[in-house]
Amino acid sequence: MTLSILLQIVWTGLAISSYAVLFAMAFSLILKVVKIWNFAQAGFMGLVFYTLYVCLNILAWPMWAGVLLSFVVTGLAAIAFFRFGIETLRARHSSSLTFFILTLVVSQFMSYFFAMCFGTEPLTITKNIMSPVMLVGGIVVSHWDLQALGLTVLTVLFLFWVMHKTHVGQFMSAVADHPGLARLYGIDVNRIYLYTIALACLLMTVGMYLFGLKVAMLPNTPLQMMLLAVIATLLGGMGQVFGAAAAAVLLSLLQSLSVFVIPSEWQSLLIYAFLFMTILFFPEGFSWTALKSWFAWRRA
Amino acid sequence: MIHPQRRPFLALASAALTLSALSWSPLSMAQATDTIKFGLSMPLSGTQALFGADQVKAAQMGVADINAKGGVNGKPLEMILIDTQADPQLGINAAKRFVSVDKLPIFLTSWSAVVKAVAPIANREKVLELSVGANSPEIATLGDYVYTTFPLADVDVAALAQYSHTTMGKQNAAVMYINNDSGVEGANIYKTMFEKAGGKIVAFEAYDAKATDFTGALLKVKAANPEIIHIQGLITDLPQVIAQMRQLGITTRVSSYSAGYNPKVIEQLGAAAEGLIVTSLAPSVNDNPNVAGFINRWKTTENRIPNGLPYTQYLYDSPYIVAELYKWIAKNKLPATGENLRKALLAIKTFDLPMTGMLEVSADHRVKKPVYLLTVDKGAFVPLATIK
Repeated sequence: MTLSILLQIVWTGLAISSYAVLFAMAFSLILKVVKIWNFAQAGFMGLVFYTLYVCLNILAWPMWAGVLLSFVVTGLAAIAFFRFGIETLRARHSSSLTFFILTLVVSQFMSYFFAMCFGTEPLTITKNIMSPVMLVGGIVVSHWDLQALGLTVLTVLFLFWVMHKTHVGQFMSAVADHPGLARLYGIDVNRIYLYTIALACLLMTVGMYLFGLKVAMLPNTPLQMMLLAVIATLLGGMGQVFGAAAAAVLLSLLQSLSVFVIPSEWQSLLIYAFLFMTILFFPEGFSWTALKSWFAWRRA
Repeated sequence: MIHPQRRPFLALASAALTLSALSWSPLSMAQATDTIKFGLSMPLSGTQALFGADQVKAAQMGVADINAKGGVNGKPLEMILIDTQADPQLGINAAKRFVSVDKLPIFLTSWSAVVKAVAPIANREKVLELSVGANSPEIATLGDYVYTTFPLADVDVAALAQYSHTTMGKQNAAVMYINNDSGVEGANIYKTMFEKAGGKIVAFEAYDAKATDFTGALLKVKAANPEIIHIQGLITDLPQVIAQMRQLGITTRVSSYSAGYNPKVIEQLGAAAEGLIVTSLAPSVNDNPNVAGFINRWKTTENRIPNGLPYTQYLYDSPYIVAELYKWIAKNKLPATGENLRKALLAIKTFDLPMTGMLEVSADHRVKKPVYLLTVDKGAFVPLATIK
C-alpha cells in the first residue's frame, strides 16, 4: 500500500459517501421529528429515480426539470402516505409494530410496482455512466466526485441553516421534543410535519440524482441502501441528524479502507457487523451518555 | 310429497344431469385436450428477470413453432411455466410442483444455484432435469437425472483463458469476480486454465454482489500491473467495474464471459467498452442463417433484440430437445417416465437444433460446442475468433 493508493481510496470513499449521507439524514430527520422508522423511504427513493428516468429518457426533458418534477412527485406521494397512512394509524393509537409493518409494506409494494412498470433491467439516469476525470496530485478526481461532494455539502449546509437559524427549524425541534406541548404553544404540528417531509424529500432527491448518475439501479436497490441509513442513524445517535451524516461518512470510509485488511468481497459484511454491535450495545442509539453508562456498568 | 312411482325417474334424471355437468368439467376438458407437457422454471421476476423473461419468450416461440408443424406425433407440446426469481428455494418449490402436482417426467431450469438446489428432487423422483443456460461445472456431477444442454463454464472461460495466453500472448492476467456461484467457479476456471497454459495470475480479487464502489479491488489489480483483466461478473455490475477501472486510469484490455455479450454494456460505457472481449456459445448470423430470422422475429414482435441473445437461442432450441425425447419413447413404445426420457437422451445423443446447431450430450453429463469470441470495435460487437 502506498500513500497515493490510500489517498485515492479515501477520496473515492468520501465521494461515494455523499448519497449515503443524504439518505441517512432523511431517515434520521423523519425519525427525529415525526417519530417513525420510515422504511417506506426506500419506496420514495425509487420514486425519485424512476420519475427522473422517465423525464430524461422518455420525455427528453432537461435535467433541472426532471429533478424538480421528481422532488414534487415524491413530496406529494410522501405527504399522501403520511396523511392517509401514518395519521390514520396515529388516530387509532396503533402500536409501533403496526407502523413498522406499514412502512415496510409500502416500500415493498413500490418496489414491485416499479419492477412491473420498468422491468428488472438495471437502469441509469443517463445512458452513459462515464464521467470525465482529472489528476490532482496523483489522485484521480472525476467530475462526478466534485459534483457529489459539492451538492452534498450545500444540501447539508442548507439543512443546518433551516434547523438552527429559522423558525421552522426551532419549531421542528419543539415538535421533536414534545408534540403535545408544542401544540399548546400554538405551533401547527401538522404543518411542521409537512415541512419535515419536504426536507426529507429534498435530501432523497439530491441523493438519488447523484446515485443514478453513477450506478445502475434495480427496483430493490433502495431497500439495500436503507441498511446503511439505518445503521448510520443508530450510530449517529437517535434524533441526531448531523450525527447520522457523520456516521454515514465514517461507515463509507471504513468500508472502503477495509480492503487493506479484509478481502474486498467481505466489505459489505462490515455493515452487518456494525448493525449487530449497535443493536447489541446501543439499542437506543449511540450517544456519549450511553457510552459512559455502559463503561460504568462494566466497571460495576 | 313425491309420488313413489316418480322416484326412480327423478333419480335417473338427477344422474343424467350430473353426468352431463361432469362432461363440461375442467377435468374432462383436460382429458379431451391431450398434450405433451414439460416444465420450465425461470426467473420471471427479481433481479435476473432481465434475462429470464426473454429466455421464456424464446422457449415459447420454440413451442409455438413445433406445434405449428403438428406438434409431437400429432399432439401439441405444452410448457408449464413457474417463476423462480433465480432463487434456490423458489426453484425447489417449482420442482416439487412439477413432480407432485403436474406429474411431469421432465423439466427444464436455469441459474446454477437453482439447478443445484433442485437436483436432489430430480434424482430422488427419477424426473429428468435439463439445465439450459447455467454454466457451473458442478452441474456435470449433480446426479443421474441432471443433464446440461448448455456448455459449462469450463468450456468458454477455459477457451478464453487459453486464447488470452496462447494467441494473444498475454503472460500475466488479473481476475476480478463477483462473489457468487457463477463468479467464483468461473474465476477459478480462468485462473487454472491460464496458469496451465503457462501464464501467471497476478491478482485475484472478488467483490460483493451488492457493491457499488470497486476502487479498493481495482487499485490492487492496478498495482499488480496485469496485461489483461478478466472480469467474471454479471450485467448488473460489469459496466460499473469497467467504468471505474477506466476512470482510475487502468487502460488494460478487459475480457469477460458470455454475460458481457450485451449491447447495454456498450451503451453504458461508450468508448470505454472498446476492445472488450466476450464469449458466446451460440452461433451468430454469420454462422447460422436461422439466427437472422430469429432476431428479425424479435424486432417485429418486441421492437428489440433479446437480452442475452445466445441464451435465448438455447432456450428456443430446448423444446425441440424435449420433442425429440418424446418421439423416441413413442417410437419405442415406452411410457413417458423420467427414466425412459433419460434413456432417450443417452440413446439419441446428438441433436441437430435450429438455432444452436449440432449438440452432443455425453454420458459424463457435459456437452461440447465451439466457443465464439467477440470484441467491441467502433461501438459494436464483431467476431474475433472461433475456438472449436
